Amino acid sequence: MNPDTTAPTPDAASLLDQWMLGLLVLVPLAFALVVAFSPDKRARATALLGTLAAGLLTVVALARFSWSNGAAFQFEHDVHWLPSLGISVSMGADSVSMLLVALTALLGPICVLASWTAITERVRLYFVSFLILQAAMVGVFIARDIIFFYICFEFTLIPMYVLVSQWGSTERKRAATTFFLYTFTGSVITLAGLVYVAWINAGMAPGLYAGSGSWTFQIATLQITASQHMTLSQQSWVLLALLAGFAVKVPLFPVHTWLPLTHTQAPTAGSVILAGVLLKLGTYGIFRFAIPFCPDAFMHYAPVIATLCIIGILYGGLICWVQEDVKKLVAYSSVAHLGFCVLGLAALNVAGLQGSILYMINHGLSTGALFLLVGFMYERYHTRSMKEIGGLAAKMPVWATFMVFFVMASVGLPGLNGFVSEFLCILGTFQASDKWATGVWGSAGTAIPGATAGNLGPWYALVAGSGVIVAAMYLLIMVGKVVFGPLKEPAGHGGAHGHDEHHGHEDAHATEAHLPADLTAREITALLPLAVACLVFGVFPAPLLSALKGPVDQTVALIDTARQIPPPGTPSTQTAAADLRTLEHEPKEASR
Amino acid sequence: MTIFSSLSMLAATAAPKPMSPILSGPPEALLVLALPILGVILCTLCAIMRVRTRMPAFLTVGCLAAAFAITVGLYLKSGPAPVITSGFEWINLSWGDSAGENSPFHQFIANFSLYLDALTVLWMLFVTGLATLIALYASEYMSGDVGTGYCRFFAAFNLFVFSMSCLVMGDNMLMLFLGWEGVGLCSYLLIGYFYKKPSAVEAAKKAFILNRIGDLGLLMGICLTYVHFGSIEYRDIFAQAQPYIDAAKAGRYSEIPAIVQLIPVLLAVGAFGKSAQLPLYVWLPDAMEGPTPVSALIHAATMVTAGVYLVARMYPLFLLSEIALPLVGWVGALTALFAATIGMAQFDIKRIMAYSTVSQLGYMFAGLGVLTSTGAAFHVVTHAFFKALLFLSCGAIMHGFAGQLDLRKLSGLRRMKGWGIVSLGMLVGCLNLAGFPFTSGFFSKDMLIGEAFVTPGTAPIGWILLLTAGLTAYYTFRVFFRVIVGPVHYEPGDELHSAHEEHAHGDSHNEHAHGDSHNEHAHVEDDHQHHDHGHGGHFHPHAPGWAINTVLLTLSVLSLAASGLYFVPTGVHGGAVPAMVDRSSAAYQSPFAHHAIPEGAGDGGHEGPDHAAETVPSYVPTSIAMEDPHAVEHPHENAGTFLGWDPHAVLFYVSGAVGFIGIFVAYVLHYAGRTTAATARADALLPMLGPIPRWAQHKWYVDEFYNLVVRVPLLALAHTFHLIDKLLVDGLVRMFGAIPRWLGTLIRPTQSGELHGYAAGMATGIAVLLFIVFMLTLR
Repeated sequence: MNPDTTAPTPDAASLLDQWMLGLLVLVPLAFALVVAFSPDKRARATALLGTLAAGLLTVVALARFSWSNGAAFQFEHDVHWLPSLGISVSMGADSVSMLLVALTALLGPICVLASWTAITERVRLYFVSFLILQAAMVGVFIARDIIFFYICFEFTLIPMYVLVSQWGSTERKRAATTFFLYTFTGSVITLAGLVYVAWINAGMAPGLYAGSGSWTFQIATLQITASQHMTLSQQSWVLLALLAGFAVKVPLFPVHTWLPLTHTQAPTAGSVILAGVLLKLGTYGIFRFAIPFCPDAFMHYAPVIATLCIIGILYGGLICWVQEDVKKLVAYSSVAHLGFCVLGLAALNVAGLQGSILYMINHGLSTGALFLLVGFMYERYHTRSMKEIGGLAAKMPVWATFMVFFVMASVGLPGLNGFVSEFLCILGTFQASDKWATGVWGSAGTAIPGATAGNLGPWYALVAGSGVIVAAMYLLIMVGKVVFGPLKEPAGHGGAHGHDEHHGHEDAHATEAHLPADLTAREITALLPLAVACLVFGVFPAPLLSALKGPVDQTVALIDTARQIPPPGTPSTQTAAADLRTLEHEPKEASR
Repeated sequence: MTIFSSLSMLAATAAPKPMSPILSGPPEALLVLALPILGVILCTLCAIMRVRTRMPAFLTVGCLAAAFAITVGLYLKSGPAPVITSGFEWINLSWGDSAGENSPFHQFIANFSLYLDALTVLWMLFVTGLATLIALYASEYMSGDVGTGYCRFFAAFNLFVFSMSCLVMGDNMLMLFLGWEGVGLCSYLLIGYFYKKPSAVEAAKKAFILNRIGDLGLLMGICLTYVHFGSIEYRDIFAQAQPYIDAAKAGRYSEIPAIVQLIPVLLAVGAFGKSAQLPLYVWLPDAMEGPTPVSALIHAATMVTAGVYLVARMYPLFLLSEIALPLVGWVGALTALFAATIGMAQFDIKRIMAYSTVSQLGYMFAGLGVLTSTGAAFHVVTHAFFKALLFLSCGAIMHGFAGQLDLRKLSGLRRMKGWGIVSLGMLVGCLNLAGFPFTSGFFSKDMLIGEAFVTPGTAPIGWILLLTAGLTAYYTFRVFFRVIVGPVHYEPGDELHSAHEEHAHGDSHNEHAHGDSHNEHAHVEDDHQHHDHGHGGHFHPHAPGWAINTVLLTLSVLSLAASGLYFVPTGVHGGAVPAMVDRSSAAYQSPFAHHAIPEGAGDGGHEGPDHAAETVPSYVPTSIAMEDPHAVEHPHENAGTFLGWDPHAVLFYVSGAVGFIGIFVAYVLHYAGRTTAATARADALLPMLGPIPRWAQHKWYVDEFYNLVVRVPLLALAHTFHLIDKLLVDGLVRMFGAIPRWLGTLIRPTQSGELHGYAAGMATGIAVLLFIVFMLTLR
């Protein structure tokens, strides 16, 4: 950042704060423009510079963000766009948004480094797409207006479509099309749900809600309308519409089938971004929209959502076990992992929500790194089949060390990041039962807002927890085959590219840079920040947990209002059910 | 810096809790954790700088010795009550209204803080002490791998000590879990140390996955503990559990909710996994694929006792359940017997030791189950010494004979030059394991068996343990009589062709500093593709050097000296170690204990002013002890007897006799008249037993059974899911895409682009959905 801009004159500082988020979107876009008009040779370096600049700006934003007030939206700024329709480009970030923006910014330069030698054709288009993707992802996280949100949300698809269809593997066209249509279909339905809420809010449905009389698409306003003035059945439909888009994005079972296909076909950086950030658009959407807009409905349907998550955890995990393609294995593991993430959301208590949001970040770090490692291996061997390769630790000790490290982060080894989030998700699910308070299970006590209330419980936690065993199974079997064991290289592969005797592939991959057997300094540079983050967040997650306390408490308060915890002594499940039944027939404000 | 910063914060949050104040512990305890981490960092640096000397080993020995010294300091300082050394914040959450903040149930706290009581210190003493000795041993044992492998080994070794310290010293269950899984990781890394060997990789994987099954139980136990007691910090749990403890003391188990009684059962599942008990024991014998120092430290002396530690640490909760301790006791006893039967039929001496470890761990669990936590802990300590000694002796043999471990191919080591100390070590270890009178193993085992007969209803466990003691003596001395004594005969193992060759390959461009004859020999053999290298020939065993001999000698002395602990007058039956246990949360004075107190009880000379077996600290542990001052003098009327005698008075002789019988049988069958290494008189007996020896040798086909019952169905399920995913779910999605396309083709046959089909389907879907939504909401 230019020191002039950050100069401590109050005007400059407030101006910077005002435009901070706008800059976070605009800087990658500006660099995309620069890359588009720079020679192919400099495209890489320019893109790296662009992502680094965005990263630096993010660091400034992180430093200026008031973390003690994480629930409040900061750096708010509105740019009027279509005032007559109430549409504006309005931005603001709470701590959840900030952390996800930080994750996006961290993965940016790492992905550029990972694409350094892998992308040799149409370099400019590649990096232009990539930078636009960065901007769109940041846009999703900072949007405070549903139209702006939706535009960014959909705009992630186009560059991703380009990345997969142009630089993917053999089935790239099919994968890209499936990806695009699958997620696009879902998110259009999401838009319908959001617009429906705006429609109600504008008072366009006489007899339902008087409304404000004018259109607005501000998330904050719509959230109040949706959560307070909609009946349970309205909320349920809105929830279904929202989940149609978000569940596909996450992806939840059974709408996950686009993911393994897209991941296996995408270029390495595409997979990293897909797993690291794009999937989080779904979970972020659930946290930001589905829960606050439809708290009653979400609470009501939490067991259904949790069941889908648990099926995803076990189903995805077991499928991982029989994969031969390493990348497909990691892709399916995302289905299992994101199951934990949404399960934490469905728990609707502090532990579950904290765990879930942490999971978004942690999964981005560890799975992103695993995709990087698989990509580095693929660049050297041109195969990802566990039948053809094995025992790479003998050839690539540094790669193997990183692999084991990130696999351990991924299986949730305590001391690394994955454990903290996974444990909190499981604990949250375990707690989330009304029966703890009613004494059915022997511990009569009071319901504790944000902890022991809900309609999940230990059985959900137990079954989901068995996914931890499955995770150890498939990941360690993969490590046992690929990293350890006797060295096995594909036939015709005369050793890594650095070796002298390597002539055969010279012509076939003439444009390809020569890579040494083990990781290069560039590749280690890409992996090291992720490794450090995994370790630090595993040992010292306290700053993250306290940063997330605000938004999580706010959400839990919302849920508790919706839950209307009955006074101790009354059987809460029945009361809640009765509440829901009355809610179904009359608008909520009447029942209060 | 940060380590100490949150101290004040912790104190603040701790203040409103309803509990007796707990003193803050010595800050240097944190160094016990920091030093092994320093070792990890130094070893990693060595790897990065490509150090090709034994530097990592000596850095490790230095770090661990310092940690041991600090632990000794902690021991000297330790008082009767537990203390807590605050570290830093790990996972802290809080919720609820402001009124409820800072009370249990409204916050979740898991800090990097240490809970130091006598149990902690006891465990840390032998963990750090043995780790130091074994690191010294490994400096020589692993010298064939000097280079990156050497650095990797010692980094994992240090990481293990760190994890084990977290497990033992953590002040909450989640930190215990951190260590619990951490030791699992190190075990994984070290079993798979020879990572090119498929069997080693397989064994490492198996260990980790089977442990994870137990870990799930532990995790659920932690969740349940939290939900029920509102905290996972030991001090709070014990404080919260006090009403139940009182109820349990009075035998009013009906007042304890079933859910609370479930907690210890879940924890026990975790303990069975980590400590290799039925039905999760199968990983431990395979874990012998790791280098022998690892087997000695991790898979014999320390890590596998973590389950015993868990039960001992959470003993107050185990006492709340009517089923938990009987479960622990029976599982332990059956494991002891079962593993012993397998151990009798094995030929690989390291495997025999592995099965004996499983068996001895069973003894410890049985001890916990029959209400002698002191006996169990004493057995942990004595076992740690003599089993480490046995493993390290086996390791020296393996090292010297190129990986040979088959007792049919080794004989008469005692008479070979340079093998005196190894033979002595084996003898001392075997005597201890067999429970030869006046060895430490004899006393600790006797405490367990005796208590099993004293505690009402557990006499069957006592009989099983007594029978197993005989079997143990037999298979232990089977090894001794075959390998150490008898005619001199040996064949080298196959390591000439496998492990060493690989290492040579791995470091081929680097000349080893190690010029051992057998290593050079290995190269020669490889070059000539020479397969009939056995039968003496030009193979020269490589006698251990100073580091191995020093460690073996030290451990021999310590294993013998450990029996002295029994006689230390402390007022507690069994001497110093049980006295330490009595000052911890594991304290439990059996109401049926009526053994005579050794002379000079109550002097407390050894324990100094801290001696407090009778002074019950204000908070929990010893308050569980039945506060019946007459229990000692007057035998409890319900106390069991051994065939009408006082078990503790007569079992000294009985178990001694059983041990003698076992040794004598081994002498007759495996030593008397034996002229070759391969055969002994026992072979003539085998046909009489039918297929039983073969079944035992094949470990009763348990692995095959698990494979058939668990793995195969799961794999089938996985394949089915994969198929479903490929066909059904994907097909369904395509069908949804295809229907509009099909409709489209009906309407406009010219159009058949896939994109259009999807788009049409999408638009239709949206339209239908919006229609439904509006219809429903507008009604």
